Amino acid sequence: MAESLWRAIAVYRIAALIYVAILVVRNVGFYAHPMLAWPVLALTAAWTLFTTYAYADQARRRPPLLVADLLVVMGVMASSAYIVGEHALRTGRPTLAVAWHVAPVIAWAVAGGRRGGIAAALAMGTTDILVRGHYDQAGFTGTVLMLMAALAVGYLVNVAEVAQQRLERAIELEAATRERERLARDIHDSVLQVLALVKRRGSGLDGEAGELARLAGEQEAALRTLVTGRAAEPVDEHAETDLMALLDPYASETVSVAAPAGAVRLPAGVAAEIAAAVAAALDNVNRHCDPGTKVWVLVEDEPAAVTVSVRDEGCGIAPDRLDEAQTQGRLGVAQSIRGRIADLRGTVSITSSPGEGTEVEMSVPR
Amino acid sequence: MVVDDHPMWRDGVARDLTAAGYEVVATIGEGRQAVRIAAAAKPEVVVLDLQLPDISGVEVITGLLAAVPGVRVLMLSASGEQQSVLDAVKAGASGYLLKSAGQAEFLDAVERTAAGDTVFTPGLAGLVLGEFRRLAVEPAGADDAAPKLTERETEVLRLVAKGLSYRQIAERLVLSHRTVQNHVQNTLGKLQLHNRVELTRYAIEQGLD
Repeated sequence: MAESLWRAIAVYRIAALIYVAILVVRNVGFYAHPMLAWPVLALTAAWTLFTTYAYADQARRRPPLLVADLLVVMGVMASSAYIVGEHALRTGRPTLAVAWHVAPVIAWAVAGGRRGGIAAALAMGTTDILVRGHYDQAGFTGTVLMLMAALAVGYLVNVAEVAQQRLERAIELEAATRERERLARDIHDSVLQVLALVKRRGSGLDGEAGELARLAGEQEAALRTLVTGRAAEPVDEHAETDLMALLDPYASETVSVAAPAGAVRLPAGVAAEIAAAVAAALDNVNRHCDPGTKVWVLVEDEPAAVTVSVRDEGCGIAPDRLDEAQTQGRLGVAQSIRGRIADLRGTVSITSSPGEGTEVEMSVPR
Repeated sequence: MVVDDHPMWRDGVARDLTAAGYEVVATIGEGRQAVRIAAAAKPEVVVLDLQLPDISGVEVITGLLAAVPGVRVLMLSASGEQQSVLDAVKAGASGYLLKSAGQAEFLDAVERTAAGDTVFTPGLAGLVLGEFRRLAVEPAGADDAAPKLTERETEVLRLVAKGLSYRQIAERLVLSHRTVQNHVQNTLGKLQLHNRVELTRYAIEQGLD
């Protein structure tokens, strides 16, 4: 995109040079100092040639060249005041840089976006008007047109840049997804199978072999979650996200996560709060129950609400313990889970009895 | 019959089954071959890895059911990839187990599958619940109503998804173990029936075009 714009500028500059040459040949008889017009025309040609080469290299499209370009063209234009002469200019003879002077302005717009374009257009426009010395509508029209052209090109360049970045990001994401899928296939075919096998064959054994089998089982569960886990898209607070992308990682050797096959879409903020509440419930099991206590998480996606249950088969909580923790001002399950879900206008029910395990059911309206 | 592309797994599973007193009629590593051999070997139960190198789990299950009507298929999967598990269940598999399940759990699942029971993991119950809800919300065709679960069936399925055993569910809901089992089986039956109706309708539509 930018590359073709630079080429277009070079073509424009060459076309403008031909136009300038024709005008000089036709008007030279009216100039105040006609002999000086030829060296200036030569300089115009030389500069056109130089910039065509100079701008062709991306590394040189930087302030030094851009500023030089603007100054040289402004110089050529300013020399018109002496060479063409005040009288000829006032009677409508063009300057020595007519049309050609737009090229550096467009170059600035391409290199510096809208702001660069406007700055260059204003500088060049002011020079043009001062040199020609008549302040009527015709005098301003050229400058206004140049300003608008700079704006349009600058805008175009900004849009192109954003589009380019998006495209690159999309390509990156796609490559990452493909790589992930490939890895998942490989891991499934090899590592996962072997880990599950080790766990299976060793689970009845005592001592070190049994321990190895247990470790293999843990890694198997973690790896399985990793390769089948859903990708959480980068989202802002209000965009929707898949709740399961946040909950699936909790699945492990002891934690079973049951959910619908599809995505459970919720606003990102809501999903994060639910995930935090689930984490609090799981953390509670970890802290208060024996290691290896099984936990089941169930996610239900209904039209009116999303319900998440966390059930464990642990030691259970005596009915008064929850209230006790709260009255003692401790930040327990009660506060953490009830608070978060209440903020989402949801309801929480905690059923538990000693020895029977605990079940926390959170329901959040859509 | 054991179908798994991973030789170590295949042999391990076959050995466990033999040790537990089952007769393993064939061990196979590919789906097409499995369907071909099943027609001759007539297994009662197929222990099937869901991810085979040649054809999809759904294709294997459809093929097996066509070759040996009434065969019971217990799926094993290493990854637990959700959509493929759900599709396989809809295609007619009668049970599902993660490969990480313990040996005792596996043998118990085979025994129940052989007895005609449905083997559900909590994860599968969650998937099936989700599928019924999806079907209920989805705008259905005018002529066929989306399959619905009764309140009791939903209740039972939710408890399965929360990890309760059939015995615990029976206690909690004051039902017999057999009734709980029937409820679970019915949910699967409804899903499979709906799947067949959909497929038939699709075939007719394609044929009429």
